[in-house]
Amino acid sequence: MPQLIRVRPTKIELIKLKRRLALARRVQKIVKDRLSILTMELLQTARETTEAKNKLLDELSQLYRALSIAAGYHGYLALDKELIATEADLKIAVGSRNVAGVRIPSFEPANGQEGFKTYSLSDTSSWFDHAAQLSQACLKSIVELAELQRSFELLAMEISRTKRIANALEYVVIPGLQTTISYLNMKFEERDREEKARLKRVKVLVARE
Amino acid sequence: MNRRMPEPSPDQAQDAPYARMLENCLTGELRLVNAGLPRSRKPLSHLLCEEHPHVICNDGSTHSFKRKELEYLASVLDKDEQEALLLPILIEIGASQGEAAVLALSGVEGELEVKVASNVLNMSVTSDQGRIRIYKSQLALLRTKLKTATVYVFSPATIT
Repeated sequence: MPQLIRVRPTKIELIKLKRRLALARRVQKIVKDRLSILTMELLQTARETTEAKNKLLDELSQLYRALSIAAGYHGYLALDKELIATEADLKIAVGSRNVAGVRIPSFEPANGQEGFKTYSLSDTSSWFDHAAQLSQACLKSIVELAELQRSFELLAMEISRTKRIANALEYVVIPGLQTTISYLNMKFEERDREEKARLKRVKVLVARE
Repeated sequence: MNRRMPEPSPDQAQDAPYARMLENCLTGELRLVNAGLPRSRKPLSHLLCEEHPHVICNDGSTHSFKRKELEYLASVLDKDEQEALLLPILIEIGASQGEAAVLALSGVEGELEVKVASNVLNMSVTSDQGRIRIYKSQLALLRTKLKTATVYVFSPATIT
């Protein structure tokens, strides 16, 4: 049962409560709209995350195959030597975007890193080039997946918070306000009736005298 | 019939500070939803020239654009249109149930947004009083292709 709000039974309080109810209803509509948008975004992100994860797994399996072939062709020692030469810092442009009030990170690999080969082209074969290309693609996919997974987490957290607000409004705040308003209305009606009855009684007493 | 009205008992009743806090929370929620709106929008041609394309939002934070999306938009529009199209494109929510509206504000009667939306949705759309009405399923498609080039606006009609 909705709880009554402890207020003084005055007309001013009734007006205040009515205003608060109107505000709560407006907020409820916005919260519901926001919830539906966030849910749509979450489902979309979930779909994209699954696709990105599958794509990454495919690319990784291809990369391991290419590396195995390259290792078989060059030998582990030569491959290790060239791999050390290929070590480079990964540069990512980090930004953020706003989705219905949720700040979501945005990662993008910085330009100018593609096609730059730091290993010896004369000492390596096309197998090694293929593996290097695949590893570049894997790095891009990892960055993409990281962004999607973080977005998914943030959206899920915001949805659970928004749902709590929506439920609080729907089941606690608005019913409480409605009950209190109707309680105050009944109280004023009763006061009016008492007043009328008192006046009638006074009239009878005056008439008797 | 003599009905006795229920009196609010102290343990059932809520305290005034709690109600005030609730009210603050509600008004905070209103502020939060549109905090991510851009302070000013930038033309597509300017954003394409920037190293890290972004706009500043109302709350002081930045909204970054994906270069891939900007390049897609550039491929759809010609040079003059790129100069005229302001980003991010605004999507109005809450105008009516089950619908959203892309605010068509760039070019003559929002022709640029109409062109972009038609290309993304792969169907012809029209603007009515500066708004392109789309269904939620179409909205999902639009957001998939233009994640950073579009932002949500919660309709002022519902907020006032």
